[in-house]
Amino acid sequence: METMRTTLRRGRNVWDRINMPESEFQERAERVKKEMKKENIDVLLIYGDAWREYGNLCYISNFYPGMGGSIALIPRQGEVALIFWGSARGLEYTQSITWIKELRPSAEDIASSCVKYLEKLGLFPSTIGLAGLKQLMPYLQLQSFYGALSGCKIVDADHIISNMRMVKSPRERDQIHRASRILTHTFDVANTPLEGMNELILEAALDREARLEGAEDVRILIAKPQEEKWAFRPVEDSQMSPGETIIIYLAVEFERYWSEIVRTFVVEPACLVPAGRENYNELYEKIMRMLKPGKPVSQFYKEAVSELEKSGTGYVPEYGLGQGIGQGTNELPIITEEDASELKEGMCLTLRLAMRDKEIGTLMIGNTIHISKDGPELLAK
Amino acid sequence: MNDNLSKLDKALGMVKQRGLDGLIIYSNGVCSILRPSYLYYFSGLRPLGPNNAMVISKSGDVVLLVEPPWDSIRASRKSWVSDVRGSTDFVKDLIGIMRGFGMTVRVGVSALNIMTEEVYVPISQEAKIEPADDIIEEMARIKTKKEIENVRKTARIADIGFKTFLEYARVGIREYELSAEMEYAMRKAGADDNFTLLSSGKHNYAMHTPKDKRLEKGDIVLGEITPLCEGQFIQLCRTLVLGKPSPILIEKYDMLLESLGQALKPIKSGAPASLISKNMNKVISDAGYAEYCYPPYMRARGHGLGVGSIAPGGTIDDDCKEMLESQQVIIVHPNQYLPETGYLACGETIMVTDTGPERLAETETKLYIKEV
Repeated sequence: METMRTTLRRGRNVWDRINMPESEFQERAERVKKEMKKENIDVLLIYGDAWREYGNLCYISNFYPGMGGSIALIPRQGEVALIFWGSARGLEYTQSITWIKELRPSAEDIASSCVKYLEKLGLFPSTIGLAGLKQLMPYLQLQSFYGALSGCKIVDADHIISNMRMVKSPRERDQIHRASRILTHTFDVANTPLEGMNELILEAALDREARLEGAEDVRILIAKPQEEKWAFRPVEDSQMSPGETIIIYLAVEFERYWSEIVRTFVVEPACLVPAGRENYNELYEKIMRMLKPGKPVSQFYKEAVSELEKSGTGYVPEYGLGQGIGQGTNELPIITEEDASELKEGMCLTLRLAMRDKEIGTLMIGNTIHISKDGPELLAK
Repeated sequence: MNDNLSKLDKALGMVKQRGLDGLIIYSNGVCSILRPSYLYYFSGLRPLGPNNAMVISKSGDVVLLVEPPWDSIRASRKSWVSDVRGSTDFVKDLIGIMRGFGMTVRVGVSALNIMTEEVYVPISQEAKIEPADDIIEEMARIKTKKEIENVRKTARIADIGFKTFLEYARVGIREYELSAEMEYAMRKAGADDNFTLLSSGKHNYAMHTPKDKRLEKGDIVLGEITPLCEGQFIQLCRTLVLGKPSPILIEKYDMLLESLGQALKPIKSGAPASLISKNMNKVISDAGYAEYCYPPYMRARGHGLGVGSIAPGGTIDDDCKEMLESQQVIIVHPNQYLPETGYLACGETIMVTDTGPERLAETETKLYIKEV
């Protein structure tokens, strides 16, 4: 789901080599190289920026750019390189969070640094695959990049990485599980007495708890479904009144992997109490059980919507049913009627259901789910 | 005339003066410390989604287009614009508005430099695009009373952030735990977001996002404390020693304080911004560290901070051509790597006035020492 982009991802930023060893990245790089060979790509450039999408870049490098854009450069033969936004002083830190040895800081023009390195490798001209550049790099910069690459054959290669990212390895699943554990723990704060019962204070408390548990980034949205016009939004300097229904969306990133959860609460005088509705929990469970390997995503979508309508709660389409989650909160597949992919063992998805309720407005439940060979497994509980 | 109508009036004046069909103020939803947030400044809305735009026709019609569509409810409450539209197909909707407003020949675009191909190319096929950052920059030169209030409020939050830094920086705490406590304190005080960098150790190389490292006796702890409130950043660069500092550390930090003092001296409206850097570098160079004053060791000696403008720019260095103007908010930081001490943080946010720099935060700039 879309959330407010933070100005800097400023939580715990480490590379735990036990949770995610170098061999995992090397294996990914080798798989990418095999795909490059199939498509006759000599070198693949993977772009990521600090604010919008760094998942592809991170998948290969474990690095995310603190500011600006960075490029991972994968030659079909040879070492993976990272050209990152920053100065030479940043090398020590960058070395501590990536397995890549060939590190090149670039303070201003990342495109020309990239071209220089291609020339050094003798890969200029060549067939160059681009992942993320068209979507993320500002157009004026992209134009000058294209200009500098004139003579090279440019091909779109987004699909290589995004397809690989859809199915998670056991280690990736474990990381999402760890992020989910932080979520579960963080929500305990909502059940404890809260100073002032103000939205800002609630957010500050949730954020603190998650960061103290090691969260790298935290995203929080809130909704008050009893209001005439309501939608998810960032918190405001606003009181929470007893009796109000509050839906909280919370997403946490831990060591590059996200998990999300959505819960509905009723405001009590000094804390938030989960809006318990057993029949909705049962409905959620029933729909979740429909997530089975081999089923087309579009079929699951239709079945879920049909089940919601049959139950009388209706389908609230604004926030969608969910999507893939991992190194981004908006990964493939997206649970829609149009999605052409099929559910696979190893996928991690979010499933969000909004159910209308006469008494409390709308009740929403959301979880992060792993699709195992035996069916869906709740990661965030 | 209220502030918003005044902004619209000024924008329309410049649109007409340049013979444009209208103005598009674009945002990719990012609020960066090194870039102004034109849409936030003009509309009052900090955008959430990946594509957002304010479209102003030459006759004064205004539409605020936001992604995702559900954010239009918040946008309607936050912005003064009455016609707010949520979008599921941003480019198609933007082009529809351009056509409806007769923006088919020449259109000014603010924040063109962050637009990606998927937006830039289709709109450039509708009309000739002209960069128009200067339209917003021009009007943002004079801050409103509310903006000045926000600057001061954010400075108070930065003081709270520093106080928390000082309180929690102790032997045993991990860097990320220290950062979490600072974040908590600043959020409770009203910060919307934070740009916090830290580093700790006997010899630091740069500030960065926090790691697992536990603070130890004798560590030099660096903090770049930068809350964001209503689009305004204020930054404090501070250095704390856990335990008795070495004589060389005291000596070198005194040199940085002298450098900061000399950098602040020429600041007033009409002075060249480059003097900040030149004065700063002179002190450090005279002490024998000339080569450490320039790339690849250093990027900038300061930069502007603001919502509608970050003038005098994202980089204040010896080559900066801009002149300082009253009401500019600037971070001046002789943050410096020195071979004997490692990287040290020392910096202050000031507001330029006609008579000199006005310090915005209350916490003193000095080498902080904490007994352990």
